[in-house]
Amino acid sequence: MAEQKINKIVFAGEGGQGIQVLSKVLSTTLAVAGYDVSYIPQFGPEQRGAPSVAFVQYSNGKIFYPKFSKADILIVLRKRAIKAIESFIGPETTIIFDSSTIPRNLIKQKGPKVFGLPATKLAKENFKPKALNIIVLGVLAGKFFNLGKQIIWSGIEKQLGTKFAKSAELRKVSKEAMEYGFDFSLENKKFSPPIFDTHGSIIVEKGWGKTAVIIPKFCKGCGICILKCPVSALKFGKTLGVYGTSSPDIDLEKCIACDNCFQFCPDSAIRVEKNS
Amino acid sequence: MKENDRFSMPDCFNLASKPSLFCPGCGQSMFLKHLGSVIDQQKIIDKITLAIDIGCSLLAWNYFDFDIIQTHHGRVVPTAVGYKMAREKRIIIAIMGDGGGYAIGLQSLLHAAFRNNPITTFVMNNTEYSMTGGQMAPTTMSKELTTTSPEGKEEKLFGGAFLGPELVRQAANSDAYIARASVSNPVILETIIKKAILAQTTGNFAFVEVLTICPTNWKTDVAGSFEFLGKMEKIYPVGEIIKNGRTKNK
Repeated sequence: MAEQKINKIVFAGEGGQGIQVLSKVLSTTLAVAGYDVSYIPQFGPEQRGAPSVAFVQYSNGKIFYPKFSKADILIVLRKRAIKAIESFIGPETTIIFDSSTIPRNLIKQKGPKVFGLPATKLAKENFKPKALNIIVLGVLAGKFFNLGKQIIWSGIEKQLGTKFAKSAELRKVSKEAMEYGFDFSLENKKFSPPIFDTHGSIIVEKGWGKTAVIIPKFCKGCGICILKCPVSALKFGKTLGVYGTSSPDIDLEKCIACDNCFQFCPDSAIRVEKNS
Repeated sequence: MKENDRFSMPDCFNLASKPSLFCPGCGQSMFLKHLGSVIDQQKIIDKITLAIDIGCSLLAWNYFDFDIIQTHHGRVVPTAVGYKMAREKRIIIAIMGDGGGYAIGLQSLLHAAFRNNPITTFVMNNTEYSMTGGQMAPTTMSKELTTTSPEGKEEKLFGGAFLGPELVRQAANSDAYIARASVSNPVILETIIKKAILAQTTGNFAFVEVLTICPTNWKTDVAGSFEFLGKMEKIYPVGEIIKNGRTKNK
């Protein structure tokens, strides 16, 4: 029997991105492929927004302990999750990061083992934003785990079968996303610009005797302000909020400064005041 | 007013804890904002203490710039009562979910109302247990789908919607302030919060149920959430619950 090798993988992202689904699919597929697998999820009590981390190990021998201190492969998909997994980066760690949301300089590791994958950009421009984890899964399967397209797809179908049964379109998009990811080549030297990074400061707009303040770093993209605006002065814009969702743009010409957006916004991210 | 990070939030908020831990479009953070503005308007930040329960309400643990007590599940009302006994001049506000208020903590709530302890209590009603993933609660409406009632809540087995304020009114002292508000109307909500705090300062028990939205567990978009809230408001009538005929305990 060959020498036992335990491969340690860390997935990190934000709650709601599909990190745990991704890890579950990968673990079950590896188990079906004949490996011994351990999978430990880690997340907070919040359902959205907090860092969501998954620890996966697989080996050709037995795995006796699910914890480890340094990862072989580390996948990080959101800026705010980096803090939670920094201690797992060792000199030998291969890092794959979402280059469309994370600037390269935030990853401390140097050298050829850092790969960029503009997953958010690919998902938003080619598929739906929710296809992100399927794309990542497709990319990883062939390049790092030696799993074929068919095997990984059957793993996805096993996990998401009930959802696919409800919507044939979802199944089609997921399959396309997986295949797209499978054929995608990772960025190594030249990285995509982090165009989907959260807007860091506040936006102040003045005009028509009013001052509007929108704070994208607080905006979670729920869209309540847009629904409650009586004159349709608000619509989703291009600036990105804290969860990578669009934050609103305001048309001050239409705005009547009724205060509705301020009253309803759960996250204190918008306010319009009349200049006195 | 200067255009900075605090431009659109009440002064009593803890800026370091924002963005908060609540989900996008959460009704509870909408309620907390109005509570914050009332505290600002009344200028009572030096006197106020918040007590929070287990459940989504605990995500407010660093929401404000004043002291916050974290209690055991369902025990936020007795803790608040004890706090008020020890420190009479402080204003204590207890926030709990429908689990802490109407399931595990109902007897504490009823007896505090019966004794007319001078505290202010708020129950967030979103018709389910949200932190654990949307299980059926007493407040779940008849035929409503939750993760533990996948075919709709069966009224014969589990009862219909639980009318909390109406029940508390039966046990409460006639001076107690009991009301139900909804996040769909911020102006009325703020008025009711103001009155509930005033009731405590005049030595009476105050209890307010707040109808909130939960897009994450209802799996609704923004328009769907407010539509659902509209349905809730038909079953849970919003307003003050008027005093019954009980004589005052003197």
